[in-house]
Amino acid sequence: MSAPAARPSAGDRFRRYALRNASLLLSYLVLTVMGLYYVGYAAGHGQLSVFSVTSVFNNTMPLLVAAIGQTMVVLTGGIDLSVGSIISLSNSLAAVHMQDSAGSVLAWSGLILLIGAATGAANGALVAVGRIQPILVTLASLSVWAGVALFVLPQPGGAIPPGFTALLAGNAWQIVPASAVVLGALIVFWIVFRRTGLAVALYAVGNDERSARANGVPVAAAKIAAYTLSGLFAALAGLYLSAVTTSGDATTGAVYTLTSIAAVVLGGVSLFGGRGSATGSMAGAFVLTLIVNILFFANINPLLQEFFQGLVLILAMAASVLVNVVLGRTG
Amino acid sequence: MADQPQAAAGRPPRSIDPVRRSIALTFGAALLLFLIGGVIQPGFLRPTNVFSVLVVASFIGFVAAGQSLVILTGGIDLSVAWVINAGGVMLTSLAAGSDLSAAWVVPATLCMGLGVGLANSLGIVFLEVPPVVMTLGMNGIMQGLVLGLTNGFTSSSAKAYAPRVVSQAVNGVLPGGVPVDLLLWTAVAAALWVVLSRLTFGRWIYALGNNPVAAYLAGGHTRRITVLVYMLAGGFSAFTGIILAGYAGQATLGAGDPYLFASIAAVVIGGTSILGGRGHYFGTIAGAMILTVLTDVLTLMSIPEAGRSILYGLAILAALLIYGRQPEDV
Repeated sequence: MSAPAARPSAGDRFRRYALRNASLLLSYLVLTVMGLYYVGYAAGHGQLSVFSVTSVFNNTMPLLVAAIGQTMVVLTGGIDLSVGSIISLSNSLAAVHMQDSAGSVLAWSGLILLIGAATGAANGALVAVGRIQPILVTLASLSVWAGVALFVLPQPGGAIPPGFTALLAGNAWQIVPASAVVLGALIVFWIVFRRTGLAVALYAVGNDERSARANGVPVAAAKIAAYTLSGLFAALAGLYLSAVTTSGDATTGAVYTLTSIAAVVLGGVSLFGGRGSATGSMAGAFVLTLIVNILFFANINPLLQEFFQGLVLILAMAASVLVNVVLGRTG
Repeated sequence: MADQPQAAAGRPPRSIDPVRRSIALTFGAALLLFLIGGVIQPGFLRPTNVFSVLVVASFIGFVAAGQSLVILTGGIDLSVAWVINAGGVMLTSLAAGSDLSAAWVVPATLCMGLGVGLANSLGIVFLEVPPVVMTLGMNGIMQGLVLGLTNGFTSSSAKAYAPRVVSQAVNGVLPGGVPVDLLLWTAVAAALWVVLSRLTFGRWIYALGNNPVAAYLAGGHTRRITVLVYMLAGGFSAFTGIILAGYAGQATLGAGDPYLFASIAAVVIGGTSILGGRGHYFGTIAGAMILTVLTDVLTLMSIPEAGRSILYGLAILAALLIYGRQPEDV
């Protein structure tokens, strides 16, 4: 595009970056505005405390973690509807089996993550090797794992060890939410992951599967890896949900199937694959959760929560289309 | 296919159209499931029982009629669940059990469905929002509106029963023992057959699903077709809400929830390609029957909900592995 000799000016580079990442930047912008509004309102009404901030983080984390997994799959051009059931399954397993000892917590966390990865790998194999459309494979496994979750925990109940809750949903040094630490770790994970060969393969497959194959990208392996990661993150989301809610319910994860997709879309990841970033999805998850808090502040009927979440989703999508059109014309 | 000339003598006969094959397979599987039910419980194949199974299947059939049209164009409608709920709540709370009010409330409810579908399609066509996102957002909007306006109760008054006319239309029985509801389903099936197999509108639906650019270049009013298809889907969802409220006698929040995935599953099990362009509503009818009979047979075998859910998923997977696979190089 530009002459190779002259290094493009900073302004030029920024414009090109903005052009390529318009939807991502938009999601950061929305999050910043909403975050500032939240902090400003809470501070103005004396409701800004370690507790309130921690609870915002804790309420966001299950969705945020699930959205990272969903991002992996969406980047390949697929979609994972089984996320909700895997969250339910891991919540049920944790509620039934986890005992209040370090050994039990560790062993069961590890086992639950393994099970999540295995369920994801099964999805991936059916998509990549079975050559069935992702939306259908995961629709079927949504039903299968929802059944298994009910089998593990037929009635809501069970208990989550308080130590596990303190670890994931408590506060470090009395003031820093543990969730914020985990969030930091997840962001670092993404920054590192983004530079691995696997991540490049995911983007390549999502952009153009045939070209990817022609260029020697192991398409099937990349897809299986994407779904495996999605299952793994869904299981982690389930563990987080268990820590936050401190109880078990075999249907508790159902909402996350659709909200994780909403978070990914709000974060500027293209549903056609190949474009976007998990950090955007994380921002999307925060936006969806902050809507609930802001409705509470604004004294709006909390039952309207889904109305505003749906509206924000559609408006964000329309806005990113609009921004792309405008930037495309001037650039 | 029927219009095409017969293969010349001497040539090997042409292989059966894959869509017809999958429709035949699905009907065969539905029949087999009915027979299995009959073996497990002798009364299962008695006409009254078969009719009551088919009535329950018709609910999936109604939602999936709209879903079929949308999927055939290459789209998807994720807003069905809360349009169904909205339909039921609107019917019962506005009519408040009065037959006289039903005369305007039923058309108004259907118009609500058409309106939601119109909003979906405008977002898809003019704002260029992908169908998954548009209809997912719309589902949230409808959920929020219904919950917000009703405060989470189906109605504030105890009179919020479905008007008798509507209940009669669903639960009433014709002289031969045939439920009125099945007559409605037959009418819907006939209408869908006319649309898909006899009207140019139907040809354009397939064309759009096969290749939107080609359909546009061939002179198709692709935007208009998209708008119509999503409006019909919204209308069918609202219609299902009315029928469900009539069946149960009152509206339940969440009554529509199972129908999102069931409608997609019925369409796909019936052999319609999720990518659009291939399939027919007849397959969807068989798919709706399979899903319903399977649930009933598993219940007869006293398999708990957990087991039913697992087998339900495995059945969908089995159907997909038989005829839902993509060609090698895609």
